[in-house]
Amino acid sequence: MARPGRVVAALATVVVALALGGCGGSDPEPTGTPSSGPVRIEVTVSGETVTPNGDRVKVPAGEPVELLVTADAPGEIHVHSNPEQEFEYGEGSTTLTVENLDQPGVVEVESHTLDKVIVQLEVK
Amino acid sequence: MSGRDLLAHGIGGAKDLPIPPQLAIAGAVAALTVSFTVLALAWRRPRFDASVGRPAPAWLSALVDSPAFAITLKVLGFAVFGFAMVAAVFGKDVAINPFFGMFYVLLWVGIVPLSVLFGPFYKAVSPVRTINRGFAAVSGTDAELGLFRYPERLGQWPAAFGLLAFVWLELVYPSSTLLGPVRLWFSVYVAVMLIGGALFGNRFYESADPFEVYSTLAGHLSVWGRDDEGPLVLRSPMAHLARIPPRPGLVAVVGVLFGSTAFDSFKDSTVWLQHIQGSSVSANLQNNLMLFTFCGLVAGLFALATAATGVEHGQRRTELPALFAHSMVPIVVGYIVAHYLTYLLEEGQQTLIWMSDPFSNGSNLLGTGDLAVNYWLSYHPGLLATIKVLAVVAGHVLGVIAAHDRAISLLPRRHQLTGQLPLLVVMVAFTVSGLYLLFAA
Repeated sequence: MARPGRVVAALATVVVALALGGCGGSDPEPTGTPSSGPVRIEVTVSGETVTPNGDRVKVPAGEPVELLVTADAPGEIHVHSNPEQEFEYGEGSTTLTVENLDQPGVVEVESHTLDKVIVQLEVK
Repeated sequence: MSGRDLLAHGIGGAKDLPIPPQLAIAGAVAALTVSFTVLALAWRRPRFDASVGRPAPAWLSALVDSPAFAITLKVLGFAVFGFAMVAAVFGKDVAINPFFGMFYVLLWVGIVPLSVLFGPFYKAVSPVRTINRGFAAVSGTDAELGLFRYPERLGQWPAAFGLLAFVWLELVYPSSTLLGPVRLWFSVYVAVMLIGGALFGNRFYESADPFEVYSTLAGHLSVWGRDDEGPLVLRSPMAHLARIPPRPGLVAVVGVLFGSTAFDSFKDSTVWLQHIQGSSVSANLQNNLMLFTFCGLVAGLFALATAATGVEHGQRRTELPALFAHSMVPIVVGYIVAHYLTYLLEEGQQTLIWMSDPFSNGSNLLGTGDLAVNYWLSYHPGLLATIKVLAVVAGHVLGVIAAHDRAISLLPRRHQLTGQLPLLVVMVAFTVSGLYLLFAA
């Protein structure tokens, strides 16, 4: 049984090497704005579409997030933090300030009106 | 989707941070290395299949086997069931109705730790078994037996279907946090279970009750064993795992359990979210297809990999997947721990708090209404990520060991090593994908 054992050990080494090689260079790109001041996210709601469309934004824990909403119709945004937060905006431009993002985690900011995730805030 | 997010992912809603990439890679490398080490260096004679276990202490056997113990558990189970039903029928259709948390958190997720600790827990408390027994008592028949013998070739396919129906409700059905649909789902579950119990007796529940089948599978990782109706024994979880009966449909059951949990991670990933939100094809349709694809892919890959071995004359390849399927159970449980730990702890607390107020009128029936949820674990994301990776890797290692042991007891000697390779590769693929999803989603 020595030979198959050795073959398997060699195979294991190769796979480990491949795994290390393959996974090495994939650092996630930070999508948030650089630090200093509150994180600002421009949100445009137009008809059935909203931008951004489900992006990830990194947010330092405890920092407020400003949503600069430009919309063609009034609507509602839900922030799925603990506890939940709800905001309303009108037609035109509205600035919504999301606070109490203290707990590390991924918080979805969702257009309740369109039933779409606008951004996922990565709070840490 | 908003309705679903109100609960299915946290009543408050925040989800776990992705695990750090270094940790994911370390976990993947550990899983790989251990896998091949087990294959190359481990024992060559099966150790778990023949293990008999040690008799449990006499006082414990006496307690567990006493009618009072069984009745107490049934009463407890039925009381919780009754409480949930009252909240479901007379409570308001709001997110703080505790029926949602009792169903999605305490039952669906709580079933795993309770079973791993205490064995086939749901079987002992099952309200549908209790009702069936009541019917049998009233009509003067035996609850064990129904009108017909359960068709054994169906095996656990009905349970696989039931589990798929549950994860479909939880993960893709858009109104999964509205009272009406969840109540309807649960009523259909109870109705099918009662009719099935009347037709086929208690064997039906071991084959078709999704919660009982899930619980009994996870319970095979506990130390509490019993052979048929024999005495209570203490047994190593590995030996206990080897006693999972290789019934038809078992592969589908583990496929649904693992595939759906992976899909749950995947559907919140940026890639999928941006794809379905930007696509003109219905998001709901795509989520449905993707859920079925994930479950089917896991079951299909597992079946292919286990069958891809040399066999002896008279051995049938088609029987191999079910004979190896027990090795998926620790992988499933490890991944469930990683995926649901904060959900169970935090939403579980929230549910216990809301259970004080089943009608959402501000009452504090259980005295828990004024407590606040403790989010300690979420505030320690480093510790949380480490626990998650350890759980996944530990589940993987146990799975590989279980599969190795089965391979050497089952496969002809000259195919024992090569015959295990495809399965090992698939298991590594599952674990690495699981870690990748914890990191990327």
